[in-house]
Amino acid sequence: MRGFLLRLARRLVGALVMIWAVATFTFFLIRMIPGDPVAAQLNMLEQQGMSESQAAARVAGMYGFYPKDPLPIQYLHYMQQMAHLDLGQSISYTGVPVMHIILSALPYTLGLVVTGIILTFIVGVIGGVFAAIYRNTWVGSSITVVGSILHGIPQFMVALLLAYLLATAHPIFPFGAPYDAAISPGITWTFLSNLGLHAVLPIAAFIISGFGFWALAMKASVVTTLGDDFILAAELRGIKPSIRFRYIARNAFLPLFTYLAIAIGYTFGGAIFIEQIFDYPGLGLLQLNSIGVHDYPLMQAAFLMITVAVIVSNIVAEMLYTVIDPRIRTAR
Amino acid sequence: MNTIVSEEPQALSTYPSAQTPRHRPSSWAVAWDVLRRRPTGLLGLAILLFFIGMAAFGPLFYPAELPSNPSNIFAGPSPAHPLGTDFQGTDTLALVITGSRYVLLSAFLAGLFTAVFGTVTGLISGYYLGVPDSIITKLADFVLTIPSFPLLVVLSTVWKFGSPLAMGLVLGLIGWGALARAVRSQVLTLRERTFIEAARGLGFSSVHIIVKEIFPNITSYVAMKFLLAVTGAIYASVALFFLGVLPLSTNNWGVMLQFAFSQAGAMYTTQSLPYLLAPLACILLVTFGVVLFLDAVDEMLNPRLRRG
Repeated sequence: MRGFLLRLARRLVGALVMIWAVATFTFFLIRMIPGDPVAAQLNMLEQQGMSESQAAARVAGMYGFYPKDPLPIQYLHYMQQMAHLDLGQSISYTGVPVMHIILSALPYTLGLVVTGIILTFIVGVIGGVFAAIYRNTWVGSSITVVGSILHGIPQFMVALLLAYLLATAHPIFPFGAPYDAAISPGITWTFLSNLGLHAVLPIAAFIISGFGFWALAMKASVVTTLGDDFILAAELRGIKPSIRFRYIARNAFLPLFTYLAIAIGYTFGGAIFIEQIFDYPGLGLLQLNSIGVHDYPLMQAAFLMITVAVIVSNIVAEMLYTVIDPRIRTAR
Repeated sequence: MNTIVSEEPQALSTYPSAQTPRHRPSSWAVAWDVLRRRPTGLLGLAILLFFIGMAAFGPLFYPAELPSNPSNIFAGPSPAHPLGTDFQGTDTLALVITGSRYVLLSAFLAGLFTAVFGTVTGLISGYYLGVPDSIITKLADFVLTIPSFPLLVVLSTVWKFGSPLAMGLVLGLIGWGALARAVRSQVLTLRERTFIEAARGLGFSSVHIIVKEIFPNITSYVAMKFLLAVTGAIYASVALFFLGVLPLSTNNWGVMLQFAFSQAGAMYTTQSLPYLLAPLACILLVTFGVVLFLDAVDEMLNPRLRRG
């Protein structure tokens, strides 16, 4: 337990350093945007009749620093504000705190991505086990072939084709909103089923494009495990096929956890396409739209939040791995 | 495979002394031999050459400004327009051909940068260990953690990716992490092998050992990762234009997809299906070519897989 907490603490420190680096990066990036949006904003507010100090205060509210201060002071102000979890004010949604907008978009992205990762993992692992056990029959080889093909098709293409086939050409599934506007949100069956129906296509896009990776990885892992001595020994002891299956599945399953970090980053990154194509109001769509309207505080915060989500998910996955695999828990 | 590996000790024992250099077939001969025995590899190479030719010479046959015809938009396939027309009445086939250059050149450069950055950092980190290793490992972890598409979208506010070189460089800069890690772990095992120890004992410099002794052992791996990085970069650059955050002034497959997706009507009529599918089909075909060719490349560069 103590080792677990120590490892968690070390990971959290690393995460903070990474978040700090990303925040610093966006701070300097905004300065490099052609046309200097901060100065332009200041100019615009002054022309609207604000005094110089009023305008500067407004800009400070948006970006987290006073535009006339020297750069190091600006940076300190910005970091101070970040440390208080204040991400500034939106420009396109005048005066609304960015944190507020981000937090209302976060559940949609998390819902899609977490459900997507878990379902993809389950479907892929089951497919991989079948592909390995029946690898000499047409069932196994067709799973392998389908997996390799799906693995080669980029995610946004899968989403685009799904949107074309099942939402516009044959409008079977709804898209364009997370739920029908007529239904009021709440813990009711009508609302939840409607929410689920709207999420079917986006999540299906995750599953179809991620299936191949997990199926192929699981197949390779199962095939390796099948050759292990303890499986042979168990077979010689005459264990039931169902128990043999459990032995294999459990042991083959573990190495896959190391890929989970990659899958998490990939899925969060891919969410930007899924959300754009299905017009789903998550963080990715927010980030894209904020660029269109030059709302840089919002863009910066959306990017930061996506990164934080990836980092936190990685830590959760790693901690889960140490809980599941006793060898990792006792080592070190 | 097994029989080939078992031949290895024998091959080592008959390793020629310095006085009698064994005749080694030229690498071109080996490549041709492998391709002849593997028709799928040859097919992959043919597909790749076809697209390289399209990117290199295709745009020469078309004027810089493609003609458009507002009275013939979203036309279906016809003899004059084999793949139909787009929302401006421009020939889709012409768009596909002229649009290939940016995508393929930037993808090639991105693959090159990824391979160079990843290999150099991986070699340094795995061979020298210590401080350079921990810096490079931390950097690689950092690059691997940041989700690349949100990062590219943020970068697009500053960087317009106008030239293939700019696109390739950025994709290389954010894509080297995985390769660096893989190369590092290979170097970690290689550096303990006896032939490296011998080279060190003979007093060769570290640079000589890395370049002449270690690097040749990972070339086939790096070459494969290079090809995979090229396909990854095709997706990435097309996807970035597809997202609509980059200027759509130039023509390429990503811009085509963006217009096909966003222009009113394109997603709603089956007439325009060729316009949406043509760039997708090209991307898939290039990927298919790379995957087929990869198998053969592995055999060409890896002497252990080669038949005598």
